[in-house]
Amino acid sequence: MAPAHRATKWPRARGLANLGLMPRTRAGLGPVERAVLANGLGVVVVPEPAATLVGVSVVYNVGFRSEPEGRTGFAHLFEHMMFQGSAHVDKMGHMRTIESAGGIVNGHTRADVTAYYEAVPSAALELALYLEADRMAALALTEENLRNQVAVVKEEIRRNVLNQPYGGFPWIPLPALAFRTYPNAHNGYGDFSHLEQATVEDGRDFYKRYYNPANAVLAVVGGCRTEEVVSLAERHFGAIRGRRRPKHGPWTEPALTSEKHQRVASALVPQPAFAIGYRTPDPVGDLKSFLPYFMLAELLAGGEASRLRRRLLHQDKNATDVSASIGTFGDDAFMVRDPTLLRVVVHHPGQASTEKLLGAVNEEVEALASEGPRKGELERAVASFASSHWKGLAPLLHRCHIVGSVETVQGRAELLSELPDLLAAVAPAQVTGAAEGILSQHRAVYELVAERGK
Amino acid sequence: MPQLLSRENPASSGPPPVGPMAAPKVPHVAEEELHGDVPALVARHGGVPLAELRIAFPLPERELTSPAAVTVLCPALFAGTERHDRTAFAEALEGLGGHLDAGVHDDHLFISGSVLATNLAPFLSLVCDMLTVPAYPKNEVRADAARSADEALIALAQPEVIARQELRRRLFKGHPYATPMAAPAALRRISESALRDLHRSLLTSSTPVVVLVGDLQPARAKTLLEDSLGPWLDSRKKPIAALAPLPAPKPGPIEVVARPNAVQSNLRLGGAAPSLSAPDWPAATLAESIAGGMFTSRIVANLRERNGYTYTPYTATRHGRAGSYLVTGADVATEVTAAALVETLYELGHLAATGVTPEELELARHHALGRFSFQVATQSGLASTMVSLAVLGAGTGYLSSYPKGLLAATKDDVDGAARRYLAPGRLVTLVVGDPEKVEGQLSLVGAVTVRKPLAH
Repeated sequence: MAPAHRATKWPRARGLANLGLMPRTRAGLGPVERAVLANGLGVVVVPEPAATLVGVSVVYNVGFRSEPEGRTGFAHLFEHMMFQGSAHVDKMGHMRTIESAGGIVNGHTRADVTAYYEAVPSAALELALYLEADRMAALALTEENLRNQVAVVKEEIRRNVLNQPYGGFPWIPLPALAFRTYPNAHNGYGDFSHLEQATVEDGRDFYKRYYNPANAVLAVVGGCRTEEVVSLAERHFGAIRGRRRPKHGPWTEPALTSEKHQRVASALVPQPAFAIGYRTPDPVGDLKSFLPYFMLAELLAGGEASRLRRRLLHQDKNATDVSASIGTFGDDAFMVRDPTLLRVVVHHPGQASTEKLLGAVNEEVEALASEGPRKGELERAVASFASSHWKGLAPLLHRCHIVGSVETVQGRAELLSELPDLLAAVAPAQVTGAAEGILSQHRAVYELVAERGK
Repeated sequence: MPQLLSRENPASSGPPPVGPMAAPKVPHVAEEELHGDVPALVARHGGVPLAELRIAFPLPERELTSPAAVTVLCPALFAGTERHDRTAFAEALEGLGGHLDAGVHDDHLFISGSVLATNLAPFLSLVCDMLTVPAYPKNEVRADAARSADEALIALAQPEVIARQELRRRLFKGHPYATPMAAPAALRRISESALRDLHRSLLTSSTPVVVLVGDLQPARAKTLLEDSLGPWLDSRKKPIAALAPLPAPKPGPIEVVARPNAVQSNLRLGGAAPSLSAPDWPAATLAESIAGGMFTSRIVANLRERNGYTYTPYTATRHGRAGSYLVTGADVATEVTAAALVETLYELGHLAATGVTPEELELARHHALGRFSFQVATQSGLASTMVSLAVLGAGTGYLSSYPKGLLAATKDDVDGAARRYLAPGRLVTLVVGDPEKVEGQLSLVGAVTVRKPLAH
């Protein structure tokens, strides 16, 4: 497996002359420039000279795969605690300072990364760096704030999962079925009992281990100059002592030895749905083999002309919705490590049996495996992908955390600019190979059905 | 004193100063008339190599009170044209790097799309085909109607959707805005002939608004739009009649809409709000931000950060052609439903009765200016803002008058807006939740009525 974090290869920051300047690639994302501070903090800058707004993200190389057993949901709970105050910032102070500077702010926790980000008018760039540095240097954790945020997180889970039809489907139950090892299979939102048992001591250990400059990337995108960013990063983050980078994975996961099929009844869902999970090649260590699986997902359910949408929605007319995507949440294929899943999700009114619908999915994948893509099919999928991709990167707040996350996981934020060309270079035979690859696997099928008598 | 998890303190000891905040950067918007009778707004925005299109059709009262046909029309627009079947149309679109969507948002039908900027002309030609020579094949329409019914079933199972339509029903009784979303049975009955009639009256013969934003030359955009959309623009268009204004909210008992066994209650307080063109709208924005419209608001500080009752409490204004309304909402654990309502009423009442602090006002002003800057900073955000301004009758002058209004609003203006729009005595209170567990609690706060959700 390739190193996920290549900070050691970067030049030390002593001024612009020593920065690893990269040529401009193409539309969508400007030149990516980078430095590494003496304490190991990776700094990535994508300057956009005409912009008056700037996005700042700090992405920590830790997610819910790293949380300890008995503490499911802890990485996400800890993300909440990062907004509860630090040495020079009171509770709510981070949000108050950003909002009073005219900025917007958020954070999120994924399988392999925890991202914190704000977008502000360029005049407030240093303020944003100051706030991020303060909580990286010296977080304030209190029992009172921890109990408060445990309560908030429980309401988040009630709102998004427990009180919601299809809540958490399929991101929580599908990995639980497809994977057997704790890091990959457990619920990243967490069990209520685990959240309630979390202690300040747990927080202190987690912070010490993972919230370390050598385990983080600072990404600054938009209205800024690279030398200014590097000098401000030195000023605010430079004094934070670097420590050894923690070990991540490998999250070795044996392949399934037989098909897994689980059916769960829910009182909340009005009609059935199911998700199929297939393993993909390592998205980081073997990107070349991974890209055809990404294309496969696009061909299967990327748009109305895709194979599964045509077949199930418009030909057989027995499904309400079909999607196919890769990653924990389906939008994070290039921000996730191995193992991960290609997921096909089908919502349907229950007129056709699950077996029949699974059979139709298989037939479509088989057709692709035996006949290959049709004329123009790959080109259309690439054009459609490119346009969604550029649009997805347009909001500055998204762009800055995506740059930070891709840099953290893939080691190269430039990948974002290169993706349309890389996908255009995927050959028909590679897509056929990916289709054969998922057909040859034992799949995991998680099925949600309406509870009887409702 | 919190225990600091400090390995060492950072070199700096206080927050660095922030330079003066730049005025929001808004591109110039050109106002055109296509073929003399279709208003179009065009702006150049080179952020990404795309162009964004919006076409909005204001809905007549009939489609608001009987929304089934227009609900099915949206997916069926993609069922093909005289020149393409559904798949060929989708393939043509994808090949251009184009995406198109049609949907009903409150009182408009929107067609919205984006495309790689170099493919704008053929993209517009596809849109023109969709608008002028739609096919509405019988089998496809039947399937779209069935799928719309299934989607409605799924939507109606979501507490958020239930709360939204129950609140509108309670606030706007007797007005078209009180109409719930189309019922599954009504959706299944929609035929292709109903869609053809609706297409003719709405998409061919009523006056829409066209918005184009992107990596393009505005000077050439008018010609491009007129050439590419020519056959559609040729048909004579008439403006849709204005809607009756919204009735004033009539506060009353706390209304509980039963959702047995719900593990959370969806708390909603609704009331009147000024329109985008009202002189007190900027001040009302600031009052709303201080109440619950930003993270650093009183309701978030209390309900979330002090009490842990909820994850995302909010205060927000919704604007429609008939008027605007304000909603304060929070999804809270069933056990603390009454406690959360008391705290919400306290914060709103306290703000209305005693006004805002000067510090809060400055914070909210910066926040609102910043939020507006970000709203218009992307092609997509700018296009959506422009089309909303046009259909709501606010005009593009809003893009410069709104930030000025935010800068000019005084404490008296904001206090006045808080009294007019946030005072609990003027609000309707609705709770979607488990009646067995919440009725008793809520009766400690005020009179309670319990009813079932709207039947479908």
